[in-house]
Amino acid sequence: MSSTTDTTTVAAVKRPNLINSLFPSVVSGIVLGVVGAAVAGVLVNRMTTAFSPKGVPNDDAVAAAVYTAWVLFFFIGIGAFNGIFKWAFSRREPTPAEELQVAGKGQGLWRYFRFTTDHKVVGMQYLATVFVLFFFGSMGAFMIRLEQSRPGAIFFNPQTYNTIVGMHGIIMIATTIIMISGPFGNFILPIMIGARDMAFPRLNALSYWLLFAAIPVFLSTLALGGFPTGWTGYAPLAVQELTPGMDAYCFLILIFAVSTTIAAVNIVTTVMVLRTRGMTWGRLPILVWGVLLSVILSLTAFPSFIVSQIMVMMDRIFNTSFFLAASGGSNWLYEHLFWFMGHPEVYVIALPAMAVAAEVAAVFTRKSLFGYRLLVGGLVGISVLSVVVWGHHLYTSGSENALVAPYMLDTELISIPTGVFFLVLVGTLWRGRIWLTVPMLFVCGLLVNFVIGGITGVYLADLPTDEILHGGMFVTAHFHFTLVGAGVFGFFAGLYYWFPKMVGKRLDPLLGQIHFWLFEIGFLGTFISLFQAGLQGEPRWAADIAPPFATANLIASLFAILIAASVFTFIYNVIYTLVRGERAVADEWGAKTLEWTLPTPVPLENFEELPVVTSLPYDYGSPLPGPATPVADITGAITQAPIQPQVED
Amino acid sequence: MSEANIGGNAGSASPAEPRHLRRVLIIWAVLSVIGIAIWLAVAQFILPQAASSLDSADNFTFLVLTVLSIPVGLFVWVFLGYSLIVFRVRGRPTEDGVPLQPRPSLQIGWLGITGVLCLFLVIWGLFAFYQETSAASASNTLTVQVTAQQWQWTFNYPQYGASSAGAQVIEVPVNRPVEFYVTSKDVLHGFSILAFGVRVDANPGEVTTTAVITPTQIGSYAVRCVELCGLFHSDMWEAVNVVSADAFNSWIISQGGHV
Repeated sequence: MSSTTDTTTVAAVKRPNLINSLFPSVVSGIVLGVVGAAVAGVLVNRMTTAFSPKGVPNDDAVAAAVYTAWVLFFFIGIGAFNGIFKWAFSRREPTPAEELQVAGKGQGLWRYFRFTTDHKVVGMQYLATVFVLFFFGSMGAFMIRLEQSRPGAIFFNPQTYNTIVGMHGIIMIATTIIMISGPFGNFILPIMIGARDMAFPRLNALSYWLLFAAIPVFLSTLALGGFPTGWTGYAPLAVQELTPGMDAYCFLILIFAVSTTIAAVNIVTTVMVLRTRGMTWGRLPILVWGVLLSVILSLTAFPSFIVSQIMVMMDRIFNTSFFLAASGGSNWLYEHLFWFMGHPEVYVIALPAMAVAAEVAAVFTRKSLFGYRLLVGGLVGISVLSVVVWGHHLYTSGSENALVAPYMLDTELISIPTGVFFLVLVGTLWRGRIWLTVPMLFVCGLLVNFVIGGITGVYLADLPTDEILHGGMFVTAHFHFTLVGAGVFGFFAGLYYWFPKMVGKRLDPLLGQIHFWLFEIGFLGTFISLFQAGLQGEPRWAADIAPPFATANLIASLFAILIAASVFTFIYNVIYTLVRGERAVADEWGAKTLEWTLPTPVPLENFEELPVVTSLPYDYGSPLPGPATPVADITGAITQAPIQPQVED
Repeated sequence: MSEANIGGNAGSASPAEPRHLRRVLIIWAVLSVIGIAIWLAVAQFILPQAASSLDSADNFTFLVLTVLSIPVGLFVWVFLGYSLIVFRVRGRPTEDGVPLQPRPSLQIGWLGITGVLCLFLVIWGLFAFYQETSAASASNTLTVQVTAQQWQWTFNYPQYGASSAGAQVIEVPVNRPVEFYVTSKDVLHGFSILAFGVRVDANPGEVTTTAVITPTQIGSYAVRCVELCGLFHSDMWEAVNVVSADAFNSWIISQGGHV
């Protein structure tokens, strides 16, 4: 791609009318998707009725056909295949002008509603989607806390309650997986490594719109009877469940996992091949490491998730018997497949959040990271060890006792690289010039919460204590401390930090502080009381809480009001900022990573001249020159600098 | 660690600079001692009631882990809090912080300490685990067959030909070893008696056994399902009464068994 043809392209583009605007766009995608889904549904309904000896349609087959057709026709409608017809079949490369057209040039806000390849558009699409999904998920959480405030059924029957818990769980898991790798991994990461776009821009658009296509599938479960299995979808129950709401869950996982896999491949390739001159592995900003390791981990984890859900659907549609003990299957198969994804996945969530915390901490202490290589080593260690820890979810499954020892060893070993993260963060804060902005507040919150999340993990990893805690509220509180306390706090640190660059406006700091304090206090109160409930033996997933746990749950519910208030404070802050927020300057915080060297809003294709990197972006307080020297002539002299310019003691 | 490290930059630090590292370590040590003392004082109110030797052992592990956790957690929090109070600048910083880097000795020391802690946890856990699973069945061990189904438990006492069918409460005798054989008729359930430290999955098509445990306290405890098993999962609980041998015998007879 080149920017020299800009002027001619602009002149050639016709003024768009309404028809041109709508096709191809998300509107035509939805229309065609719904039509295609309806046709496929009717066809398969007729076919299965005709072939069935009893003359009844196979609801699960119908659901699978409807969802498949929805995704396929949605993508035809949004124009995902146009490029194939235009270029692949006519056997020519797209011209630079056509590339810019697909990247959203000159399309105004419509580019956000199209199959647009520009990585910044995809990043913003991810960000908006993360907001919406978090809102749904948190509303689910408040419904849960409302129902659990007193014993007995208050608002929901068990069927509804189980569905709400399952929906809250899966929506939050999916959202936390993408919350940093999606918005920041797409918008910020390519700029950070000095690239003009992702390695595969069309795959990038595909990964986002697959995520979008999964949302209606997910919401359809409400109309189809819900699913009672919780977010884990354990198999004999998932196969036994007769409503097609369960198929919606399985299909959601399939689409989501494909979307995440595509995004992961794209990010890995981008980091490997598109780093600008001088951006060696030893100079990568820590966010890039975090996101890279996280998506590599997801590449190993998600295939087994896809496989498990395909098996469940086969059990449901074709009456195979992977998981039914009565005909030779085993529920252990599902548990292993699921947790082989399920435990690495929490590190898929945690690694980018830890990286964001390190990134933000270095900027707001005006200090180089306390041991950049040590931290990278720690993150690599976590991702390697986490591949084989899944067995601790099966401590009490009745499997062979000998299996316990290796899983326990591996699970405990992860605390060593995690400890490195704390050393680096604490060391970075130590004697820094701490500027306590809202992003920095969230980093401090993350440190407070992650310590609790990590330490309570030890109780669950050690078998004697796990025996009294497994499957209880203690587990729920523990993983909320890691996923929310570390993950979501890391996301908010990143959001307040990069929002000025991404949107061009500055989130209100006072509202941000209120958001933080409401969230932190509410969060600690809610989940510390749930620790206590779990210790007294409250099981997870209980629609109706038993009287001994009523007090702890009431306290948790009261504190949850603060979290609810924090959510609405945040929403108000975003809307207020979008309407009348102050314009942000190009280098809002005085940071040294490459994205802050660009003007805001970041132009299409980011860099006019690709920068040359000569050092780590964290060399505060050192006599060495800044990280990026955008030189006019790429072939010109490059400052020679050591790869690791830090003063090693 | 870092005091000596920035010795070379002494020119930039004011001569009256307090000895931060010594201060923060003292605060940490004092708070850790206070924290551990408080925990030891309140632990008995926080830990669940134990009615078997196994659960007492589990509770003891919980106590020990918490004693270890308090200094670990406080280390991060004290350094964080101290930094935020002492090193905070009002408004945008005009100058950079000192570019500290960890010394190799600090890195190795940190990895070593966390490594030792971690190994201690593994060895402790494995030792306790194999100790409890190796407890051999005594000749008078009571066998209880547990069958889970949506959404109730059925308990059979094969040695007595008795069944809990129709009973809301089951009984086991005090101070006699008991072993549970757990299975499920439909989906996965989780069999848990917290007060006994018993917790094992009820797998369809498989029979899993728990460790042999000995109830030591007469009283009433809850049997709960701890794996989501469908609609009425939360109603799937029952009471287990630990009673004297005589009371147990008469209960067995009332359940259609023979002594």
